[in-house]
Parts: sequence; C-alpha cells; structure tokens
Amino acid sequence: MDLTPNRTQETALIVLRTLVGWHFLYEGFAKTLWPAWSRDGAPLARFSSAGYLRSSTGPFADLFRGLADVSWLPWLDHLMAWSLLLVGLGLMLGLFTQLACAGALALLALFYLSWLPTRGVYEPGAEGNYLLVNKNLIEAAAVAVVLVFRTGRIAGLDLLRGRERAQPAPPVAEATR
Amino acid sequence: MNLTPEQQELGRRNFLRVLAGTPGIAALGVAAATKGPLRGGPVRLGFIGLGGQGRVLLEQTDPRYADVVALCDINPLQLQKADASLAKTARPAVKHYADWKEMIQKERLEGVVIASPLFTHTDVAVACMEAGLHVLCEKMMGIDDASCRRMAEAARRTGRVLEIGHQRYYNPVYQASYAGIVKAGLLGEVYHARLVWHRNGSWRRKAELPSPDYDPAQWGYPTYDHLINWRLYKQYSRGHMAELASHMVAITDWFFGAHAVAAIGSGGVYRFKDEGREVPDHTYVTLEYPGGRDAVFTSIESNAFDNYYEAYYGTKGTLILKGEVEAYLFEEGAAAGAGKATGVAVAPKAGPAGSASESRAADAAGAGRGVGAASGGVDRLVSYRLEVSGFCSAVRTGAELKCGPERGLGSARACIAGFDAIEKKARVEIKA
Repeated sequence: MDLTPNRTQETALIVLRTLVGWHFLYEGFAKTLWPAWSRDGAPLARFSSAGYLRSSTGPFADLFRGLADVSWLPWLDHLMAWSLLLVGLGLMLGLFTQLACAGALALLALFYLSWLPTRGVYEPGAEGNYLLVNKNLIEAAAVAVVLVFRTGRIAGLDLLRGRERAQPAPPVAEATR
Repeated sequence: MNLTPEQQELGRRNFLRVLAGTPGIAALGVAAATKGPLRGGPVRLGFIGLGGQGRVLLEQTDPRYADVVALCDINPLQLQKADASLAKTARPAVKHYADWKEMIQKERLEGVVIASPLFTHTDVAVACMEAGLHVLCEKMMGIDDASCRRMAEAARRTGRVLEIGHQRYYNPVYQASYAGIVKAGLLGEVYHARLVWHRNGSWRRKAELPSPDYDPAQWGYPTYDHLINWRLYKQYSRGHMAELASHMVAITDWFFGAHAVAAIGSGGVYRFKDEGREVPDHTYVTLEYPGGRDAVFTSIESNAFDNYYEAYYGTKGTLILKGEVEAYLFEEGAAAGAGKATGVAVAPKAGPAGSASESRAADAAGAGRGVGAASGGVDRLVSYRLEVSGFCSAVRTGAELKCGPERGLGSARACIAGFDAIEKKARVEIKA
C-alpha cells in the first residue's frame, strides 16, 4: 500500500498534528503554571489529578481511584503535566514526532481507560453522552494517523535530524517535490 | 553566493517545512498570554494601622489571595492583638514596625492595607503609591477635599490600584439589592433615602498605656487620649460623617447613580459635653442629589432603638437594608408589615457580626439590637473578605475595583460637606 500522501494530504496531516499538539501543550502548560490567577481574578489551585482519579468509571475504576490517595500523587501530577507539555511541544514542532505520538497514545490510553464509558448514560463531569467511544478515543485515533504517516518526515524539526541519518525517508530537497 | 531561482525556491520550501510548527507555537503563545492564566502568587501585603478595623481586615485576608508580610502600628498593644489575629487564623507571625516608612522601605511589598486614623490616610497612601505600592485604604478617603483629590491624582499618576474600603460594595446583600431591586426598577422613582446610625453610649474609649514610658508625642499626639480617641477631635477626624455616614452615602451614590451636590446640617456635642470631645455626638445632615432627590443621615449617641439601616423610599416600593445583613422590600400601598420581606440570604451566616469594626453599633454602650441576630441574612464579615480579595485581584489581574478613587471621592466629598455644614450652620455646595 502506498502511504505517500500528496501535498494536500500532507497539509491536512500537519494541521491535524498541530491541533493535537496544541491541545496537549496547552493542557500541560496550564497544569505546570502555578502559582497563577484566572483572568477573572481568582487564584488558581495547584493542579491535582486526585479529583479526576476519584471519579473514574469503567472496569479499571478501582485501580485509578486507588491512585488518588497514594502519597506520591504529587510526583505523578508533575509527571503528567510535563508529559503533556513535552508531547504537545514535540507534536507542534515536529520534533521527535514518532516518540511524541507514542507518548500521546499512551496518555490518551490512560485517560480512556480511567474514564471508560461503559454505561452509555451521562456521567457527571462528562461533556456529553458516550458509549465506548468518547473524545479521548477519537483523539487517540487521530494521533495514530499522525503516527503511521510519519509526519516528522513531512514537516517539522525532525527534517533536520533526518538529514543527519541514513534512512529510507526522502531528504528535505526531495520531500519538497 | 549565486543561487538559481530553482535553488531559491527549494531552499525557501525547505525552510518553511522545517519551521512548520512555529506559527502554531506563536499563535498558542499569543492566545495563552492574552487569554490564559496569569502567573503570580498571593499579593504581598503590609498592614498599616492595626486597630479594630485593621484587625478585621487582617483576619479576613484570604491566604489564597494575599500573603501578610509585615504589620505596622505605633501602638505596641495593637500589634500584640494583631499577632493574636494571625494566630487565630493559623498564620505565622510577621515582622512588626512602628514606622510605616521603614516598613515599605525594608519589606518587599506589593501593596498595603491602610487602616490608620483618617487624617493620616492621604500622606501614607500617596507615599505608598509613589513607592510603587498598591493601596487599599480604609474609609473615609481623606480628611478634606484637597486630601481626597491628592489621593485620586496620585493613583492616576502612578498607575497604582487605589481602593477605598467601603466594604458594602462587596456585601452580597447590597449587590443583590442593587441588581435585583434598584436596577430592576422595583422601587420606581426614589426621591428620598434615610440613613440611620443610632447608638446609645459614648464613642470614647479607655485604654491603658502600652508601657509606662510610652510617649505619644513622638507620633504627634499631645496625649494618649488623643491617640486612642482620635475620632473625637477635629484635627484628626470628621466624626460621624467620616466614620459612619461615608459607608451609607457611598451606597446611596451607587443606588442613585450620582453624587450629592449640596449638604445641609445641624448637630453638636449635646450629651457628652464634659468629655472634651470636639465632634458632634448628634449629627443630622441632609444631602441633596441631582433630580430632586435627597438622603437624610442621622446619627445619635443617646438612643439605639433604630440601630443602623439604610432605607430607600420609591414611588413603587421601599427597600430597607438593616445592619448590613438583612434586606426588606415593601410594596407601596401595602399595609405596613404586609409587604414582601426578602431575606436576600445569599450566604450562610456565621460568627458574631458585632465583633467586626471600629464603627459598629455593637461598640456603643447600648449594643446593637439585631446586628448579631441570627436572622437568616449573610455574614457581614464576608464583605470584608471579598473586599480584600477583590483588591488583590485588581492588583494581580487588573480586575475592576468596586470602590476605586472616583467612588471614594464622591462619598467623601459629600460627607466632608455634611461635616462643614454642621460647623458653619449653612448649606454647603459640593462643586464638581
């Protein structure tokens, strides 16, 4: 199967990667920015995933709920926030793109499994009614597309890294066609 | 270097491909900088003046909004009490100063809360703003017209936040009354307001010297009595008009959407003639507003039956705001007592309301009837908490002040004119 996209498809893939990257990067930025104030003048609490974990649903809920009370949760929160930030930066800049995609998939898998919508009814805190498929799963699918098309070879800082390696991907000059 | 047009085009494309993510990053950066959260911790505050009012503000300072960094008072006893206030609210003790100039010079402050005697407000507030500090200054704004204008001008010139401590602006009862009743037009046309603050007992306080060698003269007070009873002497105070009326006039300005244009007054020292006080113990002032409206303020120290309230009499209804915690609405024409009484219960009541301020009815010998009653209203202290928090929000995020210099100035000028009207036994116009 020829996975080589044409220019319009390439552009669409890069736009998709950028949007997903924006989502991750801003989530990470907002979680690492502390102390901070909202624009309407209220001090913001430091990010903690405890509330999210306690409200887990689905077959793995007990596992995730248990994490809410572990003593090392602050470290987990730091790890989560910085993972989001680095993954987002990687996707937006097209730097270590495949690694960033893998990280994004891992994070989205965690989010999906911790809030697996098996009941098909509105869950408090959710944005709508979901049954098995929710926005986390859809975003994971989008990341999978970005991953399999190796968008780092289409655009981004990976092109600079790619030139230093012997690999089947086309060099920059060729990639422009 | 000579590049062919093809090479130039190729190089340009390569460049754009490599930096394809940059516009997205830049856009996210701009969006986050203009719409996202703002970095910053609690506002670093110093307190100047730790009498009863200063300590209420200190206790009501929300640690999420402000760090109390230092305290300043010329009276060591007040600083001791302030330490107890900090301890009561589980906060660590902070450094003490007797000289506010030393405090703002030595401490890394962002703002100050000024609750010192009225006559000091302007010098302290202006110097603090000129030193780059934001200021929350207790009411009344200043002791005379020129002082108030100096403060407003300093705020404009320095670009610092200046909030005047009329905490009723933050009181949920008043906010609900304004939005739901006054602004909604339920009162019809309001031509008359009655502002009442009646107490039974002398305003004079008695206090022990902080130490046998304490010298009030070093702070400009001829006696210790002048220091603790500054409210009673004209050189420091504007009496009832500054300490009591200014709150009610500020709210009347808000509800009327205008400032008073003239004052007529009478009153004097009628009951406590032997105490040496200079400001009236009975005050009666009528403030004239544009459009034929007026507000009549009375404050007496010989009967506490009426306690304290604001009443707004409209062509369709009457709104009574009692003791800062209760609101009642009566439809015009309905039999007395049969009107709609609204509790405006917007927050749970907690704590003794009478324990708060220097100017509370409960401080008078007669004690405040109804002030602390569990009547289903709001906790009056909430408005102090919201006031300090609102000030900090303005400092940190530029949030709009509820009582900035313009509002503070309008209310202060009316009260100064009222005081002058009593002094001169004449109608005093308040010129724009």
